[in-house]
Amino acid sequence: MEQPETAAGAGGGIELDNTELKAINARQEIEIEDLKAEYLAARNENTDLRSAALADRNEINDLKRAQRQIEKLNHDLEARNRALEALNKELESFSYAVSHDLRSPLRSIHGFSEALKQSAAAKLSAEESAWLQKIFDAAARMDRLIEDLLRLSRITRCELRREPVDLAVLARDVVHELRQSDPARNVVFAISDSLQTRADAVLMRVALDNLLGNAWKYTARQRQALISFRKEQQDGAEVFSVRDNGAGFDMAYAAKLFAPFQRLHSAREFPGSGVGLACAARVIQKHGGRIWADAKTGEGAAFFFTIPHNPVFPEDADRQT
Amino acid sequence: MNRDYMTSKPILLVEDTPDDAELTVMSLKQSGLLNEVVVAEDGLEALDYLFGQGRYSGRNPQDTPALILLDIKMPKLDGIEVLQRLRADARTKVLPVVILTTSTEDIDLVRAYESGANAYVRKPVSLAQFQDAVRQLGLFWILTNEPPRGPR
Repeated sequence: MEQPETAAGAGGGIELDNTELKAINARQEIEIEDLKAEYLAARNENTDLRSAALADRNEINDLKRAQRQIEKLNHDLEARNRALEALNKELESFSYAVSHDLRSPLRSIHGFSEALKQSAAAKLSAEESAWLQKIFDAAARMDRLIEDLLRLSRITRCELRREPVDLAVLARDVVHELRQSDPARNVVFAISDSLQTRADAVLMRVALDNLLGNAWKYTARQRQALISFRKEQQDGAEVFSVRDNGAGFDMAYAAKLFAPFQRLHSAREFPGSGVGLACAARVIQKHGGRIWADAKTGEGAAFFFTIPHNPVFPEDADRQT
Repeated sequence: MNRDYMTSKPILLVEDTPDDAELTVMSLKQSGLLNEVVVAEDGLEALDYLFGQGRYSGRNPQDTPALILLDIKMPKLDGIEVLQRLRADARTKVLPVVILTTSTEDIDLVRAYESGANAYVRKPVSLAQFQDAVRQLGLFWILTNEPPRGPR
């Protein structure tokens, strides 16, 4: 209240009147208000940031938890995969060992019955000779079965080597061999000029051997057999197909088609051990692909398979990491 | 080398399955070869015979067989290990060894040749085919093939 006097007295020549002081005061107050507002804004921001950070931290914790869970699941899955793989390997080596060990007694049965045939042929009656022949034939048949088992186990055990391969070239090679095996057959093959993919050439040759050989066998009764091998589009996907106009089969039994030693025809109708399609299926599955069939009794059969470009395999994943 | 020399030396058959050994000996006899056939029932016995040790101690290792027919799958010491030991020893390094086995596994073939096998023959199940294979083997390795000059 006494400010003006004091100021005037102390000031010596400086005279600040009341209005000026008021104006300064007002400016300072405004500045203070501004600072207050700034401070409040900053404080709000800070609180926002803090709560955001808190939210983030919660989110991060959640993510971390989820990640840990995924890791654990993955780990479990890997362990289970490894166990399954080990079991598979064990099964394979078991079937391999059994096949080999079965061969030895078989050789004895076959060898000595043949030796007997050679040395005692003159002494045996026609019926006795026929019995001996049956022992002999059965041993030969069993040998083929064992060979087939080994063939199947060899495919499973062998390592997949992917490279660019033209399946049409492999198929023409197979056809050449089929024609040579029975030049009297009248079979028309329609094979695309080029069927490029990335696959194991040796294994794909085995698959085509069996698929085309299968078509060749089941068209034996056709006066004009037709067999095709080409690429088709099915539901937007690329599919390879082997079609024939042969004996076909009842789709009711389709599930048994690719299981080893399952046959949809008697050996008398069409010879074979039922391992061919199982071999083909194992090759395709080894590539991460799918194989299936469509047929009708008496109206031919079609076999389809896929070779994915980027298949996901547990083995591949192992190799990449 | 003359024929008499080669036919005067024995053929060593290393085979653990008695039936298989009998069929092989039978087939060798039928092939017309006059060589004595010595059967070793496993890899260890084969080494004992070749190096004049164990139950064959006293036998002169210089008297090498004209041909060794060697099975792969055998207890104790398998055919490949026997082959490796033979190739590592100066006395048996150059002996002709034919693998005679039921195995058609690639790995066995590779291991056999890498270990120094001279030939690899798969035993067919059919006796007639087996007799034929043994006859060809005997004729080739005993009569046709010229072995390296060794101590007589």
